[in-house]
Amino acid sequence: MSGRRIRTLIWKEFTQLRRDPLLLRLLMIMPIVQLILFGYVVAADVRNLATAVVDLDRTATSRELVDAFRGSGYFTIVENPTSETALQPLLDTGVVKVGVVIPEGTQDRLLSGQVADIGIVVDGSDSQVSSVASGYATQIVARENLDRPARLGVSTVGPGIDARVRVVFNPTLDPINSMIPGLIAAILLISLSAIMSQAVVKERESGTLEQLFVTPIRPPEYIIGKVTPYAVLAIAQMTIIAAVGMLWFRVPFYGDVWVVGLGLGLFLLVCIGQGLLVSLMARTRAQAIQTTLFLMLPMIVLSGFIFPIASMPAVIQPLTYLIPLRYALDVLRASFIKGSGLADLALPLLALAGFAVVIFGSAVLATRRRITE
Amino acid sequence: MSGSLDRIGAVVVKEFRHLFRDPRAIGIVLLMPVFQLLVFAYAISFDVTHLPTILVDNDHTPASREYLRQYSGSTLFEVVGYSDTQAGVIDAFQANRAQVGVIVPAGFGRQLASGAEGEVAVLIDGSEPTSAKVAQAYTTGLNLAAGQEVALAWADRQGASVSGLGGLEPRLRTWYNPERRSAIFLIPGLMVVIIAIVTVQQTAVSLVRERDLGTAEQLAVSPLRRIELMLGKLLPWTGLAFVDVAAIVVLAVWLFGVPLRGDLAVLGAGAALFVFCCLGMGLVISAVAPSMEVANIASLLLAFLPTFLLSGFVFPLDQIPAVLQWISALFPARYMVAISRGVFLKGSGWDELWPQFAALAAYAALALAAASVLYSRRSR
Amino acid sequence: MARRHPAESRGRHGRAESPVPDAAVCVRGLVKTFGDFTAVGGIDVDVPRGQVFGFLGPNGSGKTTTIRMLTGSVAPTAGHAWVLGEEVTAHPERVRSRIGYMSQKFSLFEDLTVAENLRFYASIHGLEREVFEQRRAWILRMAGLEGREDELTRNLSVGWRQRLALGTATIHSPELLFLDEPTSGVDPVARRRFWDLLYELAEQGITLFVTTHYMDEATHCNRLAFINAGTLIALGTPTELRDSFGPGATLEDVFVGLEEQSRREP
Repeated sequence: MSGRRIRTLIWKEFTQLRRDPLLLRLLMIMPIVQLILFGYVVAADVRNLATAVVDLDRTATSRELVDAFRGSGYFTIVENPTSETALQPLLDTGVVKVGVVIPEGTQDRLLSGQVADIGIVVDGSDSQVSSVASGYATQIVARENLDRPARLGVSTVGPGIDARVRVVFNPTLDPINSMIPGLIAAILLISLSAIMSQAVVKERESGTLEQLFVTPIRPPEYIIGKVTPYAVLAIAQMTIIAAVGMLWFRVPFYGDVWVVGLGLGLFLLVCIGQGLLVSLMARTRAQAIQTTLFLMLPMIVLSGFIFPIASMPAVIQPLTYLIPLRYALDVLRASFIKGSGLADLALPLLALAGFAVVIFGSAVLATRRRITE
Repeated sequence: MSGSLDRIGAVVVKEFRHLFRDPRAIGIVLLMPVFQLLVFAYAISFDVTHLPTILVDNDHTPASREYLRQYSGSTLFEVVGYSDTQAGVIDAFQANRAQVGVIVPAGFGRQLASGAEGEVAVLIDGSEPTSAKVAQAYTTGLNLAAGQEVALAWADRQGASVSGLGGLEPRLRTWYNPERRSAIFLIPGLMVVIIAIVTVQQTAVSLVRERDLGTAEQLAVSPLRRIELMLGKLLPWTGLAFVDVAAIVVLAVWLFGVPLRGDLAVLGAGAALFVFCCLGMGLVISAVAPSMEVANIASLLLAFLPTFLLSGFVFPLDQIPAVLQWISALFPARYMVAISRGVFLKGSGWDELWPQFAALAAYAALALAAASVLYSRRSR
Repeated sequence: MARRHPAESRGRHGRAESPVPDAAVCVRGLVKTFGDFTAVGGIDVDVPRGQVFGFLGPNGSGKTTTIRMLTGSVAPTAGHAWVLGEEVTAHPERVRSRIGYMSQKFSLFEDLTVAENLRFYASIHGLEREVFEQRRAWILRMAGLEGREDELTRNLSVGWRQRLALGTATIHSPELLFLDEPTSGVDPVARRRFWDLLYELAEQGITLFVTTHYMDEATHCNRLAFINAGTLIALGTPTELRDSFGPGATLEDVFVGLEEQSRREP
């Protein structure tokens, strides 16, 4: 190993990067665009759902119920059709996502001690909206049932269960607090494996790779020289995300910087290794980028970055253990939000170390073989 | 005109040759959509179940055991362990071993027996907000129901009736997708995302490659007219994109049981316009990008991210900030998602969807015109 | 950069000693197969030091594979190759600092400038500053690139790039230079100029191992080897080869004749 040769390779790589200023600019814009999109789109709360209320009862009870819906913050009443049949076109055209139907005689039934049905119609073509809407609507009606006796002056003293449901970490349940730490890891995968996949195949296409290996350069020197500049770039991207996340989105950090650093370092090796492997296997740059995209999408979906692993079917969940990003997310989110320490995160860190050894190791071996074959 | 057709044909043949010379590329173009469809359709869901749960029973009475049995009996919770203290629950949260902790303090059974409210605590790890929200709603609901049951049982023992008050009963109906299966909601949108990824990326890279190989200069001096070259480049990709669309529709209907309520012709027309939009965008990127790396990153930024996040494919558009809603109007994906979902799930036709069609047509015309101008300038 | 005399390292590590210790290149029974395909089927060649050695053959005959085995980029399937007295497969890194290589692609970094390309290769070979300044000045003069040091290599025309590639390949003053079809795609004037440069290098005592399929270039060589379908079919000086083929024969006649002959009797 020669320090001078490695320095020369790094200098060459940086000089080449400088010659493509548009690429550099795009690489620095990318984290910002992703922050904005993921921060505001994925982390958006479902609120203010456009709702139509069909109040056929027109009594104090029905008005109370409508007020409860309006006051919840989850529903915005935009239409008041006078019949149930008028509801259909409103949902068909997407003007409203939710319809609430209070049948005639609701108050009378309640007063006579009977059960009164409240119709709640949700647009199932958007399943996120529909599951959230139906959950909140059910809660509002249940709450109304609890509050009503008190309003009627009936004593509610008696047995029951006083459950204190408390969210201990991230008590506001603000999705951005878990999105930003996740994005720090995801940007590594997205940009690093995308650029790294081009690195070696580009030099092979131009013939410079062949030239380099007739010089005294050894494979490990080549890899270090090739990888360092891109690792520096990736670290810059992560820093942008962390800075904007903590200063603009006010994401708190309770963890240990060293644990986060260790996790990211290991994941960095995994991403670089993956990029190198793709670059060594591909014959053209176009092929390399297709392969990368082909791998990246399932990795992001299965890692739990956007869609919680808990909501995946039981058959799919074991697959997520094969995705390194999953462990990186575990480490980052737990560190940021819960302040988990080294002992808490031993398992995901070990898994990441294992992936790093296997993937980066085989990339190094493959480089050696590719060159000497 | 016949000469023109011959020339277009020659370019089409050349493009297809490029495609088939590289069997891995063709494999990716044809297999990727199917693969992505399977992964996405199976993996993305909003039905949270089996939340890892820790139970803490400091009461050790039949009442506490019966209360906790409601958690172990539910599919929403999966009891992964027991602890004696709240600190044990927090530790489990920090090590990512559990997401919910239910604590029954000592005295719970005594409180219930004396006709008082039994106090319990439910702790939820909020670091994964999506499932935490569901856990919050479900535990609240579970405890409301449990409380009502306890009250009824008590009233029963006292010989009183509490049902005299009546109650409101929500009757939930879900239209368009009554079983609320995520796949049914996702797949029509997924089709749009997949088409965008395959076509934009491919065309963006294909022209840069041509310039790298120096054949662009060669083509520029040939008698090909600009528009002929464009058409020749577009047609093979349009053909491939339609193979992808067909594969997705077949899988959607047969494998996932997505209802196709509307007219297939409407869907096809929409898909054709959308493919032209994507190809136009890809060509614009490739004409402007100085290198393959830039073309790649640019198509990631301009095609993939907006299609994935700003199309309404998974993330409802009316829930995002207004500025982003305007930006989303600048990308064709949201119109196509509306068309696809409308045709599949709602049986919508021209009458409902004409604004989306108009937007796509305008976009396609604009993108192709821009590509044509840029391309001719570039190759000169 | 101390130059090791071949005799020093012999016997210490080498499993087999070169049968011709002071030859620049010595090849015995060299074979390379890729699956079922035999690229090089057992060749024997000696190239004495200081020669301009022409390695001729049609496209796909095994020229490039042979060169890649001699530079240590590809491991042979069987046989031995000694370059400057070192067995290449055993110690490729010992050989590499003493040889230069120029491929038909003129493998320069196109997004680096002329000066940056030179600086890169000088630094990779560990050249001292004064040596580098000296070599750099010589290469720029030799390639006619003085005053154009800051131009991007991508913007140079083919002839300039070819000469710059020769310069980077010889920046560390190698004892032996491999050139794999160095003149493909270059106009005749630039080709003539390039060969003048090669002669200049030869006069400095550098051994040149050149592959080509231009017959006029072959006449410039001291000795020639013809390879076809992985086997050596003729070896000798240009005059010897012409004479063996009959009076008035040109090298082109020899080349075409040998190729047809070997096709008839494989």
